[in-house]
Amino acid sequence: MTRLRRPSAQTVAVVFALADTPAAWRYGYQLCQQLDIKPGTMYPILMRLADQGLLETDWDSEVPAGRPPRHLYRLTGSGRALATELAAARSAAAATPHIDPKVGWQGA
Amino acid sequence: MRWTQRAFQTVTTWVVVTVCALLFVVALVTADPLPGPGQAVDAAARLAILAVVWAFAARTVLRHWWSGPGSRLSTMDPPARLLAAAVAALPERRREWGMAMTAELAEVPDRSTRWRFAISAVRATIWLPPAGGWPLLTLVAAAVVASVVVAGPAVGAAVPGLTVFAVAFTALVGAMALRAVVRPRRLRLPAPAPSVLVVLGVAASIAVTVIFLRREPTTVKYLPPADAVFLAVVLAVCLGAAVTAQRWLGTNRRAARLGAGAGVALALCFLLETRIDTTGLTDTVQGLLTLPLVPTAVALFFLPALVATVADRSFRSGVQAAVWTVITTVPLTYTVWLPEGLRRHAIDGTLLDGASGPVGTNLADARWALAAILLVGLPLAVIIAGSAAATTRPTATPAS
Repeated sequence: MTRLRRPSAQTVAVVFALADTPAAWRYGYQLCQQLDIKPGTMYPILMRLADQGLLETDWDSEVPAGRPPRHLYRLTGSGRALATELAAARSAAAATPHIDPKVGWQGA
Repeated sequence: MRWTQRAFQTVTTWVVVTVCALLFVVALVTADPLPGPGQAVDAAARLAILAVVWAFAARTVLRHWWSGPGSRLSTMDPPARLLAAAVAALPERRREWGMAMTAELAEVPDRSTRWRFAISAVRATIWLPPAGGWPLLTLVAAAVVASVVVAGPAVGAAVPGLTVFAVAFTALVGAMALRAVVRPRRLRLPAPAPSVLVVLGVAASIAVTVIFLRREPTTVKYLPPADAVFLAVVLAVCLGAAVTAQRWLGTNRRAARLGAGAGVALALCFLLETRIDTTGLTDTVQGLLTLPLVPTAVALFFLPALVATVADRSFRSGVQAAVWTVITTVPLTYTVWLPEGLRRHAIDGTLLDGASGPVGTNLADARWALAAILLVGLPLAVIIAGSAAATTRPTATPAS
């Protein structure tokens, strides 16, 4: 049986930020700045999402000489599905004031 | 302060000197009875020599480390160094994550933001979820606490006087188990035989201590709590180094085998020395029989570090061989010491050094031997490896 687990508000924000431009690769620090989330919170979120197969990662080798390659992130198909599911749930929650808090989302 | 190699070496020297000075003060304050001025000066002189040896060994390690991974540090600012240190401690499965944070820090421009980024990232590495999850960690932690609580009274009832040792040893082994859950590493046992040998040596050390105390219950006073903790720490360190497959230790099969071989040979040498019966022989013959044993033992102890350094043209290999020699020699020598001490005392009432004394003195003497191997033997072996490395060029890496 798949475990249902409610993602944190910050995880949801990260998923939505990545879902804004689903085809684009994003940097972790870029997401930190966009969402005003500290790196110590952002990277564990990205790590968990990647572990769950919701994010795909790659290394950006096109960096100035002497700098290490940067890690890139974007949503996988499952990640995009999760973003859609979260958006639908948010819309439903906005429409229905008394949503059952036990209803969670698959994955993150 | 600019963190150049010289600055690191100066700090290292001062750390060693401070630790030795603190040890001296603690030993002086806790001594019972208090030593006279002459004894205090004598102890200070010995400790000063020890400080010089350790400082020299530490500087040797630092010099070699600086020419390798440490060289990158000179180009980093403090936030980058802080993050690099935290990332280096990450388990392998999260190393990529650490590299990602390090790379992002390189993109952060101003100093205060870099500090905030580094501190936040370091916090994340410290609170990394354990590999098996928090429930497993809680379960293991509970098992460790229960073991520590049970070990003291249980062992104390069977072998009075071994309570402190049992609690300390169980706690240390439990801490290693917890660390394995929190930060699991891929198991690397390049030479399983030396690891098994050390584990058996540690088990035998505990067994001979139990036998000694059960056979001579009045000798409990020769294992006071502080000494029991010392024994537990030394044996746990040997065990931990042999089985937890540290990256810096578990990469060289030759070094492990050389060190373990030397440890076995040293224990046999020591056994031979205690068993040679010189009764009725002239002084010349006695000398001929026993004198070569001391230089042979010294040579055996330092040979692995020298041979491994020269054979692999690597200081690191030499240090690995030195560590393996120490962690094998310590438990095996102790395992030989106590039964032989009992045997010799039963024959003529003497100790292993030939002096007369109560049989319990063997417990204290054996611990002094362990301390000497660790505190004097290890740094000297490292210095020898450093000297050998200075005379050999590193092996050229073939172009791929």
